[in-house]
Amino acid sequence: MKRPQVMIGTVIFAVALVIPLFLHNDYFLQVIFRLFLFATLGLAWNLVGGYAGQLSLGHAAYFGVGAYGLALLSKGMSPWLAIVGGVVLSMICALIIGSVSFRLRGPYFCLATIAFTEVLRLIAKNLPNVTGGDVGTPVPLLFPHNSMRSFYYACVVLTILSFAITYWVERSRFGYYLMAIREDEDTALSVGVNTARVKLWALLLSAALSALAGALYASLFLFIVPDQMFGVEVSVEIAILPMLGGAGTLLGPLVGSIVLETASEVFKNIFKEAHLLIYGILVVLVVLFLPEGIVGTLNRKLRWFKAAPRTPFASAPPPGPAEESKRIPLPLAE
Amino acid sequence: MPLLEIKNVSKRFGGLKAVTDVNMSVEAGEIAFIVGPNGAGKTTLFNLITSVHKADAGQIVFDGHDITHSSPHAAAKLGIGRTFQIVKPLRNLTVLENTMLGAFLRTSSPAAAEQEAAKVLQFLGMGKVMHLAARGMGLPMMKRLEIARALATKPKLILLDEVVAGLPTVEALKLADLLKRLPEWGIAAIGGVEHVMQVVMKIADRVVVLDHGIKIAEGKPQDVVHHPAVIEAYLGSKYKELLK
Repeated sequence: MKRPQVMIGTVIFAVALVIPLFLHNDYFLQVIFRLFLFATLGLAWNLVGGYAGQLSLGHAAYFGVGAYGLALLSKGMSPWLAIVGGVVLSMICALIIGSVSFRLRGPYFCLATIAFTEVLRLIAKNLPNVTGGDVGTPVPLLFPHNSMRSFYYACVVLTILSFAITYWVERSRFGYYLMAIREDEDTALSVGVNTARVKLWALLLSAALSALAGALYASLFLFIVPDQMFGVEVSVEIAILPMLGGAGTLLGPLVGSIVLETASEVFKNIFKEAHLLIYGILVVLVVLFLPEGIVGTLNRKLRWFKAAPRTPFASAPPPGPAEESKRIPLPLAE
Repeated sequence: MPLLEIKNVSKRFGGLKAVTDVNMSVEAGEIAFIVGPNGAGKTTLFNLITSVHKADAGQIVFDGHDITHSSPHAAAKLGIGRTFQIVKPLRNLTVLENTMLGAFLRTSSPAAAEQEAAKVLQFLGMGKVMHLAARGMGLPMMKRLEIARALATKPKLILLDEVVAGLPTVEALKLADLLKRLPEWGIAAIGGVEHVMQVVMKIADRVVVLDHGIKIAEGKPQDVVHHPAVIEAYLGSKYKELLK
């Protein structure tokens, strides 16, 4: 089921890249920009929360540090260098959270992510001389002609990059190790996986991608405030999109983002203030009836459908282990 | 020099002495079995060898390395494979993918890992179920999957914790036939068994009997089952008198 996901993803990106040629409405472009921005964040979250099964409810930390990194560091250097600085800073945050909490099992990592993000939010609020405090701080322009279209393209390219990285991870040893950690950490240890280190690498990668998304988002709006970047709602949204689409699947975050961001935008226009209520009901329904997410559920249904004709014992029973092993030459000697 | 040497190892959990002053060694290519009633300390000893628990006293040397204070993943890298008494498959992955996970210890290429895993699965008679999800397997296949994953890491020593427990006798003896062939490839094994003595008698080179964490007997399987201390541990002192 990996190939179809890549194909669907490719089609979505191809459509995304030609949309601006026909669509000259900045409002719609901004809606789709937001859609891909959260798809990127969802893909980043998915590496840790989906594949490795480590629930993070604090991805706003990396998102926000990327944004504040660009805003604050660009006072002394070019904005593009400042973005790199923001990425490094967010990876340092990931290193702090990960190296402390990944040695433990259970809910500690999740709690640490919430607490750490809250600490960052309070720091940003209470250091007016550095971060602008509650008032916020201006962010430099990334593109000389501040056109929505440049931001849009940058965001789609970033999403494609995240998608490609996820695709690579899924097929590599690293990806298998992440899934092993999600399924059973003792088993992973017993086959020589340094689980704490593998989880940390996933978190570092995830933090770097989230920081890039944060910088892009901040630069589009030219001004950021702590609650907007480090808010719990941001963390929750980053986690819910891939869960809805299918945590631990390649296409899940993209599908989740398309469904939820479109729904929330439509509801906002139709129901005005009541849109959050509808949004909430939608999330509850999905969690209740599609716990594996849209892509995860489809995947399973399709696999059953395909597996039906070739049930293992339908034709001839397998040869007994003793007979079979006689025919197979030494598998392990080398 | 023995492949694995356990010297005066002790471990206690609070007031419970799980393993007390146990000595044991395993030669390369040897199949040893640790036999003992429920709670005798078999699993604890396995956990000490793989550094899941750290010994309170004593020393464990494997292949020239002191692994007393090592870590589980480092033990695996040195060449100690293990299976779990309570099977721990990665339920949402296929049998092949489960086994590939072991093979990834020696190669980073998925294609090479797949090839290696397929060979091991063929050997264990699991070729036909290779592409099925692990969660649908019955216990006999789950137990074999545990062995497959451990074998795929190309270990020098494999620890088989209750690998035949709960299996029908026919299935257990079939599995024993496979395990008997391990030394051909230079793999030593330590099995832990509570009471399936048919398997022990069939394939063990040497048996160590534990009771309440203390080693009470060691020797060839035929000798050990007639040892008075072993009979007492399993059947009580009344039968020890009767059998004299």
